Amino acid sequence: MSGASRLRLMLRDLGAGAAFASMAVSGQLPAWTLLLFGLALGSALMGWRIFAQRTKATAALLLGVAGVLAFSVYAGSTDLVVASCAFAGLIAGHRLLSTPEPRTDGQVQLAGLLMVAGGAALSGELAFALCLVAFCVLASLSMGLSVVEGAVPPGEPVPVRAVMRPLGLGIFFAVCGAAAFFLLFPRLNWNMAARRSAPGLGATTGLADTVRLGGEGTLKSNPRVVLRAQLTPDPLQERLDAYWLARTYDTFDGQEWTSIGQPKRSRQRVTLRHGGEQSIHQRIELLPAYGATTLVALETPTRLGNALAHSATGSQRTSLTEMGGGEVRFQTPGIAYSYEATSLPPGADTTTPMSEAERGQLLALPDRLDPRVAALAQRVLEGEKEPVAAARKLAAFLQREYSYTLELSGDVEEPLVDFLFVRKAGHCEHFATALTLLLRTQGISARLASGFFGGERVEEGYVVRAGDAHAWTHVLTPGRGFVTVDATPPANRASQSLAVLEFLTGLYEALETRWRSTVVDFSLRDQMQMAQSLVRPPRGPRRDSTRLPPARVWGLAIAAGLVTYSVWQLFSRRLSAPKPHQATHLADAVEHLLGEAGVRMREGEALEEFTSRLTREQPTLAAPLVPLTRRYLEARFGQRPLQPGEAERLLSPLRRVLQTRRAS
Amino acid sequence: MNPPVRALVAAPTVDAARQIMERIAAHLSRVVQGKEAQARLTVTSVVAGGHVLLEDVPGVGKTTLAEALARACGLSFSRIQFTADLMPTDILGSQVFHAASATFTFRQGPLFRQLVLADELNRAPPRTQSALLEGMAHGQVSLDGATWPLPAPFTVVATQNPVDLTGTYPLPDSQLDRFLMRLSLGHPAPDVEARLLTTRGRTPPVEALEAVTGPEELLSLRAFAAELRMDDAVAEYIVRLAQATREHGDIERGASTRAVLAVGGAARAQALWEGRDFVTPGDVRAVLVPCLAHRLMLRSNVQGAVAREEASHLLEELARKVVAPR
Repeated sequence: MSGASRLRLMLRDLGAGAAFASMAVSGQLPAWTLLLFGLALGSALMGWRIFAQRTKATAALLLGVAGVLAFSVYAGSTDLVVASCAFAGLIAGHRLLSTPEPRTDGQVQLAGLLMVAGGAALSGELAFALCLVAFCVLASLSMGLSVVEGAVPPGEPVPVRAVMRPLGLGIFFAVCGAAAFFLLFPRLNWNMAARRSAPGLGATTGLADTVRLGGEGTLKSNPRVVLRAQLTPDPLQERLDAYWLARTYDTFDGQEWTSIGQPKRSRQRVTLRHGGEQSIHQRIELLPAYGATTLVALETPTRLGNALAHSATGSQRTSLTEMGGGEVRFQTPGIAYSYEATSLPPGADTTTPMSEAERGQLLALPDRLDPRVAALAQRVLEGEKEPVAAARKLAAFLQREYSYTLELSGDVEEPLVDFLFVRKAGHCEHFATALTLLLRTQGISARLASGFFGGERVEEGYVVRAGDAHAWTHVLTPGRGFVTVDATPPANRASQSLAVLEFLTGLYEALETRWRSTVVDFSLRDQMQMAQSLVRPPRGPRRDSTRLPPARVWGLAIAAGLVTYSVWQLFSRRLSAPKPHQATHLADAVEHLLGEAGVRMREGEALEEFTSRLTREQPTLAAPLVPLTRRYLEARFGQRPLQPGEAERLLSPLRRVLQTRRAS
Repeated sequence: MNPPVRALVAAPTVDAARQIMERIAAHLSRVVQGKEAQARLTVTSVVAGGHVLLEDVPGVGKTTLAEALARACGLSFSRIQFTADLMPTDILGSQVFHAASATFTFRQGPLFRQLVLADELNRAPPRTQSALLEGMAHGQVSLDGATWPLPAPFTVVATQNPVDLTGTYPLPDSQLDRFLMRLSLGHPAPDVEARLLTTRGRTPPVEALEAVTGPEELLSLRAFAAELRMDDAVAEYIVRLAQATREHGDIERGASTRAVLAVGGAARAQALWEGRDFVTPGDVRAVLVPCLAHRLMLRSNVQGAVAREEASHLLEELARKVVAPR
């Protein structure tokens, strides 16, 4: 296979990869389809067309896969759109591994188009747009190269370099034009009334029904944003350092925490406890990175409601289900959610409604708890009985005597004992579990709370990252309800990802947010509104005095005109600039080589004059230089172009002479 | 003696053309020793179909060079000494009345030769200079309402003394523009002069030179040279150089369009010396000063040798500044 054909196939395969990625970035495709397509693409890029011999037989595999997908749709475990997209990807993968012939090329490109359409159905985010552009560019280059290959007679070399440049330039302009068209012209949105869903790169964290101690804490270094919130009143702090409660656990069996609470009824709005005068209102958006159905709110949540579940097919209202332990879940599955919540300021909770069973569970200990735990608590507390004071004393002890680490390997039989008496190091779950259990041994009611700790100010609101996931202790205090006491050393509570990674992730997410608000969700209505706001004269007491648009419109128009003119000038200058002749590169190479050897041209000296002078002054250079210069002149001014590789052949004697000179 | 090269007429090639040019130049160098560069430029000018202005003090070999050129090329030759009282008819010829037949017949003047040496051209009055001008420009003369063609190839080698300007009529710009090149022989180097003394007897006299080519072949050579390839970039380079002379602060009037054509023609002939059938920027530079220096009118209003020097320097400076195509 010729080099041109290999390049065409590689571009085609990479284009299919980009099209598949446009679906994959939604995070909704089943993992096994990702794996299969990845294998197919990798094999195709390596040139292993393993289905080439048995195309029809292997196509039967697709029928099997289609059956599996159809069954999963029927069973309700997979969405129909997602299943269709996954199947399109598998068809493309099958084609990639078949015989590379023009018919297959067309099928791969068609499958690519289907996948891009599928990607548009699954998500409309920045990553999708980038994949779409990559597919367009790669597929167009591949098709252009295919046309050129077809036009060249068999046996003749395909002028790849000569055609790739104009092809690339043409595609660049086409992409710019398409982008301008997409951005400037009004378009119909999928859902004129509501915002699009906001799926991203898939779930990276979530809250399980249980909390199991042990294992490595990789979550702490994940900078993905999982939650955006706008608070009223806004505390106006750069770092909020607040506890965002998701759920609580009351039962510990020595290995993991669970909750005995049973699901209660489902409603549009859930009231957990009475609100107060100082309630904090939150408008929260849970991003796909969260990947769980539990609502998160500032401590201590009182009411949650007005929830919208965003999915590939749009947004819809969802009911909320109240679980035991104050947990509230979305009923409708979605990729992302938005809702409102109100919370009491920390320490203001006085009315926590609990069942007797729940209340009794707050003092429960595992069946076989090491007696050293109780002894340790007793020793540290020295008779302190007041719950909050005791909890703070124990927390201070833990922070002082125990170290924080995310490097815990291997499961142990009794993780709490291992933490307290063996390793003496752990992460937030260990500290919170230890504090809770130590308190319980002394008859003080306590439970484990999990959620997030942090809140970083971004523009008008706050963001919480996956790395902010945290666990802490709730101490039940008579008359005050649950009081938060955190045993984890303060420095290790919030996200511990690298600053630069956090910055880059923040940048990407800011871009994505901007993309969503200004492009994806920028519907015809938004554009009309913006145009009207620009053209409409400013409202004021003298609004009838003029019907002309405000000055900023004129300013904007002038600025746009200037920018357009400048860009046009720049492009026209670039395009009209003479391109260096093919032979000029040879002259440049000669000048460069001689320059490196310390032999330089004089001001305004042409290569032939330079050669004449060197022939007189340095006769050793004449032998390689004279024929080279003569050939350069023929190629440059005598219309006898250099043959492929000829320049290098002409230069090599000069290189040898210069090397000899250098060595001597 | 070398036999005349006749190959060019049958099948013009670059090598045959260069061979002829080399032989002519070798002949010139035999009688005007130590002036090889000027000899080659003279041949270049003749091959390009141009006239040559030799500007120098007397006694450096100008006449010898012209005569040797005529002999080497096998051209008919005449020498006209221009003086203040020389009339146009003295060079053009005149109508003679034949009483027997009561008719006038035209008696050709010395201009009716293939190579004319116009010695000390600037001493003749303007009317006579103008009579020469028509011959140089159009290859014909007009007298009493009738025109007579001059023999082809028609070439003028004129001389003038740039120092002794007393009682002379400086050539008008239009006439200077008709000369393809202005050359200066200058005094020979001391060693060459010494050799002249010692080898006086053995230096071949001009009369002893034999033709290495003929008028027919010279015309063919000219046609061949005029057809040599010139790349657009080289043509544009010549125009840029001319434009630079027009925009230079020290130059009152820069190169004319005729000058641009002259440089192009001379550069084509120059390319033959290198055995090439195409023109390079180097060819252009090689003929730039001899083709343009005498056509520039400088603001300093200097005359003679000083003007010649200054114009040459300005052109060399421009050749360095105007970027050649590469």
